[in-house]
Amino acid sequence: MNKKLGIMEIEPLVRDRYIQEEFSIIGKRGIARMCGKEKASGRAEYTRDVKLPGMLYCRILSSPYAHARIKSINTEKAEALPGVRAVLRYDDPELQGKELFGLETKFNAGHLATDGQAFYHGKEELAVTLEQWKQGAGRILDGVAWWEGHPVGAAVAADTPELAEEALTLIEVEWEELPLVLNPLDALKPGAPLAAPEINSKNNIIRKLKIEHGDVEKGFKEADKVIKFDARRRPYTVAEAEPISDVILWRGDNVEIWAHQQQAYDGKMLFALKMGLPLNKIKLHVPYQGSQFGGGGNPMMHHTHGVHMISGILSKRLGRPIKTFYDRRDTFYNLSQDADCHTSFKVGFNNDGTITAVKIDNICAKMGQYGIDHFEENTRIPNLALNYLEAQINVAPAYWFRCEQNHNALCLSLVFEHVAAELGMDPTIVALKNDGVEGKDMEYLSKFKKEHGFPDRDSLRECIELGKKAIDWDNKWHKPGTKVLPNGKLHGIGFTWTHEWDDTRGVACAGVLMHCDGTVDILSQKSDDGLNAMTTHCQIVAEEMGLKLEDVNFRMFEEVGFQMMTPDGSCNLAVDAYVTRNAARKAKQKLLEYATTPIKLIDIEYPPAFPNNYPDDLDVKDSIVFLKSDPSKNVPVAEVVKRATLNQGGTRAPLFTWSWHRQGRYGTEKGRHRMCRQAYFAEVEVDPGTGGVEVKKIVNVNDVGKAISPETCEGQQYGGDYMGTGRALAEEVIYDPKTGVRLNANLLDYKVWTMRDIDTTVNLLVETGMGYGAYGLNGIGECIATVVPGVIGAAIYNAIGEWVDDHPMTPDKVLKAISKAKAKRGGLR
Amino acid sequence: MKRFKHYDACTLDEAVSLLKEFDGKANIIAGGTDIVGLFKDNVFAESPEALINIKTIPGLDYVQEEEDMLKIGPLALLEDLAHNKLLKSNYTALAEAARRTASPHIREMGTIGGNICQFSRCWYYRLPNNRFNCIRKGGKDCFAEEGENRYHSIFGNVKDCLAVHPSDTAPALIALEAKVKTTKRVIEMADFYQTEDAKKFSILDSDEILIEIQIPRPSESTKSKFEKFAIRKSIDFPIVNCASKVEFEGDKVKKANICLNAVFVTPYVPKKAEEYLEGKALELDTVETAAQLALQDAKPLSKNEYKIEIAKSLIKKTLLACK
Repeated sequence: MNKKLGIMEIEPLVRDRYIQEEFSIIGKRGIARMCGKEKASGRAEYTRDVKLPGMLYCRILSSPYAHARIKSINTEKAEALPGVRAVLRYDDPELQGKELFGLETKFNAGHLATDGQAFYHGKEELAVTLEQWKQGAGRILDGVAWWEGHPVGAAVAADTPELAEEALTLIEVEWEELPLVLNPLDALKPGAPLAAPEINSKNNIIRKLKIEHGDVEKGFKEADKVIKFDARRRPYTVAEAEPISDVILWRGDNVEIWAHQQQAYDGKMLFALKMGLPLNKIKLHVPYQGSQFGGGGNPMMHHTHGVHMISGILSKRLGRPIKTFYDRRDTFYNLSQDADCHTSFKVGFNNDGTITAVKIDNICAKMGQYGIDHFEENTRIPNLALNYLEAQINVAPAYWFRCEQNHNALCLSLVFEHVAAELGMDPTIVALKNDGVEGKDMEYLSKFKKEHGFPDRDSLRECIELGKKAIDWDNKWHKPGTKVLPNGKLHGIGFTWTHEWDDTRGVACAGVLMHCDGTVDILSQKSDDGLNAMTTHCQIVAEEMGLKLEDVNFRMFEEVGFQMMTPDGSCNLAVDAYVTRNAARKAKQKLLEYATTPIKLIDIEYPPAFPNNYPDDLDVKDSIVFLKSDPSKNVPVAEVVKRATLNQGGTRAPLFTWSWHRQGRYGTEKGRHRMCRQAYFAEVEVDPGTGGVEVKKIVNVNDVGKAISPETCEGQQYGGDYMGTGRALAEEVIYDPKTGVRLNANLLDYKVWTMRDIDTTVNLLVETGMGYGAYGLNGIGECIATVVPGVIGAAIYNAIGEWVDDHPMTPDKVLKAISKAKAKRGGLR
Repeated sequence: MKRFKHYDACTLDEAVSLLKEFDGKANIIAGGTDIVGLFKDNVFAESPEALINIKTIPGLDYVQEEEDMLKIGPLALLEDLAHNKLLKSNYTALAEAARRTASPHIREMGTIGGNICQFSRCWYYRLPNNRFNCIRKGGKDCFAEEGENRYHSIFGNVKDCLAVHPSDTAPALIALEAKVKTTKRVIEMADFYQTEDAKKFSILDSDEILIEIQIPRPSESTKSKFEKFAIRKSIDFPIVNCASKVEFEGDKVKKANICLNAVFVTPYVPKKAEEYLEGKALELDTVETAAQLALQDAKPLSKNEYKIEIAKSLIKKTLLACK
């Protein structure tokens, strides 16, 4: 038989073409968060809280040096301490082969571009071979430390956390200190010390990348003006509330894992791979997550994979549950993906504000961001070029958290702000002049929207108009460095823009199960990452099934056979909402079939709740099934399902449906245009005496496509404002320049912004329905924290009249800019 | 955290006798907001063997004006001082300094005694597990000199230490010409911080306890003001702070007291600026000159020159606010 092989198509442009206009639960305000009481009362259980009978506590030794090799190690004294149950040394045979190599790290697309998962379509060159590529975080208890705090050498399991800690101090290590390099620019100089010779023994280059669209040289020639400037973003970190931990219990042939991870299921897969276990022998629990902002997401890092391996080996060996945990300082070991970025810009533009060419030369510490993505996705700029170089240095590894677009968003902000400033133009006009997509203009985008069934709205224009009103832009915007307030401070106001980074791809599945009392459980496991997923999915299911919200519940902590997207806490609703919605629609259909279909049992026929009707004659509202033509004829949902089980279903759930959904591919995809935009405005006061910057007001306007839960969206906006302002003004991991030791790895010296540090935030939502998610939603939360540093930079420039393009914009740098302005203009008035 | 003994003292005598018994190897604990952190992080090469809790001694948290003097018990909470009406009106700089110390939670725990007796906040000194065994801990080096010194002294070192004194209330007390009463003596607050023994931060002997702060009542023609510059409003030690007290005679300055902190190893009194102001009206150019004089001797490190501008700005602000 000659069978033709089929192709399984993935429709990247899948979207809701028929969005209903009215909802009763979706989009409503005043709906209490279902996890609110638990969290606010301290009753919510986090991985850190998990206690099992007989559980042991495990601590890992960390390197006091930024680059060192263990010459010898003596663990005898630690082993002899009463209460110590095991010491796992780096030379233990069971550790061999547990680290992650090459393609095994594919979950982290930011590291590798070789397996089709990578998010970039440009030409990428790894400076090391795949086999050499072994990210530091993928190693477990190595004998070499690549950064201060690197978990190396040994792990100790003991009866109490204190004993485990004490045992670490009894381990005698003879270290060989190795030369180190802390800055990517220094790392690339000839003769620089090799930061990780185990990866690259020739130099410190990890990756090189070149991207070019159009012809930038031609673009510069055609421009009325060409400017050059440099910027830097110093390393910052997650500073998450819940320090890292896991619990693993090896019981017979089965394993249970309690994970503090965003991609916990991927972590389980790696655990299974390395332990040689089938996936069905491992049961995963994902308790509440203490605001990790995605920092616990990457399943191949030491704090995820490494910790699992150590707990797993020790639990198997001792037959007892093991909790491996980091302390607060350990938890500061990780950095944002754009760890330390040095960027040079060359920009050509015309006098009307049209940008003709942008060239970016970017040197980043390991796992940086390119900087050009948002120009491609957001603008009509025809000529773009990027030279990207990634260097290995002896500081902690970087990975994503809220979000990997930090550098991309900052580069977009800086270019637009500098162009507007050079021209003396209102920056909102410059933004609108260049808004577009993949080098094409708004006319093209408008055609695309119409062809693909999207509403044709001008998202950026709508966002700008709303934001301008909210901050009183037309009255407050002024020429840079020209407004001194009665209190002697310099007034500044700024604007920037971008789109929600459209990471709306992925796979998810969920089940909807109705009990015989008519209440519903959503069945799926997901990490509590992002805001309020629990309530949001209940809103979707209640809306679609016509149930009261309180009749739907979602406890997402246990493994129930279905998994939702949890790599991206902030965008995952764009994928996940499809599965709860589709499963709920199927469930409703089934419910109405139950309501109209008699049941024949041998020779007796039991009538349904609506014996003479078809499903289409009925609808459901407030958990009551009713006849559309005569709503007075109605039966509670509970009664309908009870009849379907012949009143015998006390122990069985009578109704179950499920749904699976896949859309798009990871990250930037040509032709899958981004249509929802965001506008940001900030107002600051700069003290010319101290360089202190007070953020008086931030206005965010986010086109979220459709807000299922407006307050949740606003929660992302509030949180993003504080996080973004901290990054703009203070957040920086500070290293001792001689030793590479982190000096501020605590929540006092590492300065996270708090609710007392900003005066006002105004959070506005635009809903154009132009997202790829269910109901036209687009997601929120990836940007905001990512974009706010750019808008605060613009406001500071407007106050002083000089740029502070070195983030964070601390008082020393602000004072320098002020004295530069004074020197140029002889004063600030 | 290393294990230690913990005693609840019932009387000052008992506390002193316990200190004597441990012969330099015990510490007093009151609010604990500073010392517990030191213990948890194993900051010292050798952690003290015992903590002696004086919060169990009754009657040490008073704030009362007697005759011409305000008396404050060492256990008075920072939060209480911040909201004390008498302080706010007559000893403004101190109330303001207490209000700007730390965060609301810490002010509810932390005491005035603890705030002026606190240990250094230098990040090399504080790094867990005694990672940098600096001069203050019996080592030989100051790691800030060629290291990350953005928050360190701009007036040079003492015994090679460049760590600044971090208290917010100390400069207010010095500007207000307070005295400190201990179990052994009464001394000027301005002399409370010593530079002889690198391991100590105040003059207190190992068996000596601070028992009262005494502030002379300012005349009716006196005003005081405190300003602090820190990265965040919510919490943070000062990058620079400043307290000024000005006594007027007509519209002229009869006497000016200025104290900066977080700029030097101990609170820093710019004598030249104080002297310059005497007999002058507090005009813009006068305070400008005073600020210049105050920072004349500054010798910033590689990364902290900016603190000079901030210090000048705070001096000007506090002086002008006293007008």
